Amino acid sequence: MTTTEVTATKTVEYAPEHPARLQWAQLAPDVYKAMIRLDTAAKQGLDHRLYELVKIRASQINHCAFCVDMHTKDALATGESVERIVQLSAWDESRHFYTEKELAALELTEAVTVLTDGFVPDEVYEKAAKHFEEAELAQLVSAIAVINAWNRFGVTFRMAPGHYQPGQRG
Amino acid sequence: MTVRTRLLDQAVGQAVGQAMSTLSATARKGLGDPALAELVVIRASQLNHCAFCLDMHLALARKYGVSERQLDLLAAWEEAEDVFSERERAALALTEAVTVLTDGFVPDEVYERAAAHFDEARLAHLVGLIVAINNWNRVMVTRRIPPGGYTP
Repeated sequence: MTTTEVTATKTVEYAPEHPARLQWAQLAPDVYKAMIRLDTAAKQGLDHRLYELVKIRASQINHCAFCVDMHTKDALATGESVERIVQLSAWDESRHFYTEKELAALELTEAVTVLTDGFVPDEVYEKAAKHFEEAELAQLVSAIAVINAWNRFGVTFRMAPGHYQPGQRG
Repeated sequence: MTVRTRLLDQAVGQAVGQAMSTLSATARKGLGDPALAELVVIRASQLNHCAFCLDMHLALARKYGVSERQLDLLAAWEEAEDVFSERERAALALTEAVTVLTDGFVPDEVYERAAAHFDEARLAHLVGLIVAINNWNRVMVTRRIPPGGYTP
């Protein structure tokens, strides 16, 4: 599919859209169902607004275009500000847009997402443990792992961004 | 080293643990090759440095008859052509690409190589398995669960 946008002055033609590599959810409905169940269990009790920020940040680091499309649209639709979404990729330099609790969650998200470069440092874990009580922290760790899981499906099967409608997946 | 949180083993996290187990079991069943599943899971756990996961899956691999030679050379499978089949090599290349997302995408050649050895449904389950072990790796490393707690 090629998208053509006509503006007042000129016609802009974008690069063609890649088709998905595989319709994995239809081919492995049992796996998809297990993912939905895991997703529901992991986010139990987590603050919705905070978890959207976590999902967007993990999806940025893992380069999941489909996931970035979905979670920025969901965040915007539920009242998140454009500024806080845009600044997420540079959150360490724009800390005053976020609460200390959100910053601790974002830092933990990065450490848990980039495991191949090292472990999850004590200072990162301890900071999160200061802002989240233990049950909530256990849920947060599970939820960070789950968005990483969705990112892997999205990237591997090259799911195309741009078609998601906010609220479609709840 | 001390364990950071045990809550996921207890009531609060039971639903999460059970859902993760279901995801792994479902993906394994659809792949239908327990020995290959262990090679994939061990390689991902090496990349993600998960000691608990390595300990557990090395034990399982031996149980499923994976050879000591394959286990010894798994971390350098690309340089050990005679030790792994083309099908195993295709699955391991895909495992590495799907595990290390932060350095780039899953290249066409890696994906196509796997698609040449696995039919679509098996490929979807293979990726499901790679995703599932990445999930376990993240949870176990973050909670700093020590190796040694698993008996096959």
